[in-house]
Amino acid sequence: MSFIDNLAMGFGVALTFQNLGLCFVGCMVGTLIGVLPGVGPIATIAMLLPITFGLPPTGALIMLAGIYYGAQYGGSTTAILVNIPGEATAVVTCIDGHQMAKQGRAGVALGVAALGSFFAGCVATIFIAAMGEPLTKLAQLFGPAEYFSLMVMGLVFSTVLAQGSVYKAILMVLLGLLLSTIGTDLETGQERITMGIQNLSDGLDFTPLAMGIFGFAEILRNLDTPEARDVVRSAIGKLLPGWEDFKQSWKPVLRGTFIGGLLGILPGNGAVLGPFASYTVEKKLAKDPSRFGKGAIEGVAGPESANNAGAQTAFIPLLTLGIPPNAVMALMVGAMTIHGIIPGPQVMTKNPDLFWGMIASMWIGNAMLVIINLPLIGMWVKLLKVPYRMMFPAILIFCCIGIYSVNNAMEDVLSTAFFTMVGYLLIKFGYEPAPMLLGFVLGKLMEEKFRQAMILSRGSFMTFIDRPVSAVLLAIAFGLLIIAALPGMQKKREEVFVE
Amino acid sequence: MTTHHDGGKPPLGIVIPVSQDIAAGIFLMLVGAFFIWQSIGLPMGTLRAVGPGMLPRAVATMLLAGGAILALIGVISRNGERMPMLTIRGPFFIIAGILLFALLIRSVGLVAAGPLSMIVASYASKDTRIVETTIFSVVMTGACVLLFKYMLNLPIPVIANYW
Repeated sequence: MSFIDNLAMGFGVALTFQNLGLCFVGCMVGTLIGVLPGVGPIATIAMLLPITFGLPPTGALIMLAGIYYGAQYGGSTTAILVNIPGEATAVVTCIDGHQMAKQGRAGVALGVAALGSFFAGCVATIFIAAMGEPLTKLAQLFGPAEYFSLMVMGLVFSTVLAQGSVYKAILMVLLGLLLSTIGTDLETGQERITMGIQNLSDGLDFTPLAMGIFGFAEILRNLDTPEARDVVRSAIGKLLPGWEDFKQSWKPVLRGTFIGGLLGILPGNGAVLGPFASYTVEKKLAKDPSRFGKGAIEGVAGPESANNAGAQTAFIPLLTLGIPPNAVMALMVGAMTIHGIIPGPQVMTKNPDLFWGMIASMWIGNAMLVIINLPLIGMWVKLLKVPYRMMFPAILIFCCIGIYSVNNAMEDVLSTAFFTMVGYLLIKFGYEPAPMLLGFVLGKLMEEKFRQAMILSRGSFMTFIDRPVSAVLLAIAFGLLIIAALPGMQKKREEVFVE
Repeated sequence: MTTHHDGGKPPLGIVIPVSQDIAAGIFLMLVGAFFIWQSIGLPMGTLRAVGPGMLPRAVATMLLAGGAILALIGVISRNGERMPMLTIRGPFFIIAGILLFALLIRSVGLVAAGPLSMIVASYASKDTRIVETTIFSVVMTGACVLLFKYMLNLPIPVIANYW
């Protein structure tokens, strides 16, 4: 089937009444949590996972995907109006976006952000559709050694791109891998490190772990560091960018889309890098770089397009290779497995309606988001005034009901309490928990592939270097670690993340 | 050791008087050691046929070593970041709220588990207002019943054994 036929089929799936509704709900919820500082997409998706049980798998994934990229849109609203990044990828938008807001041009900043994101979303959708097939073919050529090396590279990326110390992030990946070994051994059926606890024989449950460490521990982090909200008081002003604004921003949007989309494909949360890279490029290319930081529209247009493009192309490694590139995608894996779909190259051949339906829904979702975001902006601003002291008990109760509903088991709620403590300690120790979650998710698959590769190579480690694709992937991973360890780079990383 | 606070009483908490790296390193050493201990009985296998014990023990050993190096770095660099205070208020009330929910959901149902766990948890913040929280928690519980029980058809016990 050709590319057009596939997309047409996808639209057929995505345009059914139910799927349109779910896409809308996802985008709405996504915007909501994106706008609210202190509620991340990870916690929300974990929270809503049980809700999707009753839905057909395609609808469930369409909704979850909507939450994810909707959060990117919402995050920029908060960045522009309150100077707090609602999402990690909106950090850069704060710089010039909030300055524009202070100058009474909040509306234009929001408008450019939304339109740039929409454009980026459209391009990324086509890109995913076009890349899907070739990458899936490529993935089918991958043997266990290549898979293993690819995951190593993904994990290395996630450590280099995590906030804070790279070394500590590597330790977190190891901790995640270690936690994934708990449970019954796949080959021998032997119980491992279960400490005689019956529930552990199936392995650690993903939802309580993710919810404890990302949902509840995040609340504790927020309570310890009260944020100052600097909501822009002046009027938002007109929303549509004028001709002058348009002329200034179309090139940054194009470049941002390209940079973000490309980085988004990288396994290991490359999407985070997109906005930073785009901002740097725009500043370098500008005739008058001193305007940046004082409300330059290019500094909003580029990074905003980049973060949305990256958020969407991040689906590529998941859908084609079955490897989640970041924690949110890891939750998607959870959602897919709940519905009996094993993410990977076979998704496209076995569940083409799911694959193409999800891609088509992304384009529809992006169009909806422009509508949700621009005319309804007043509503989101009001939401920003809800104080945190009311928000966190509401998050708590939603999460508790969510976890309980997964298996109707109060034990799951108890183990979430345990992981909340673990997450709190990790934060205090200066460990960023995101790489751990990725290690945990990839752990089982990595071990399986490692053991297969070792059997095939009759116990020789050389198989990872002898096979060219595997060797290249490992070399990239190794090179990245070296670059990250260089003293000059360490300083740069700090500068980027401190802002 | 000074504590940060914005006016009023300093928050209650546990102060660990070492640098963050030392504490963080020791923590992971303990985790690594625990996993090594737990995987002692598991067969390692050979490289040609990797057994169930090989990866857990290898990774746990790496974690133990990695933690030790981090702790060592902490000892050597004297002006490293201090271990931040472990506040008690937040974790205590949040955990209490979660546990309360776990205990009440089956035995009494969401009518009690919802408001009570929210009210208890709200004390995690020092700005909490009891009247506001009580009203809010009852409204939220009602909304949750509507959403989860009716719209999504999840089998949440609203009143245990009855509804």
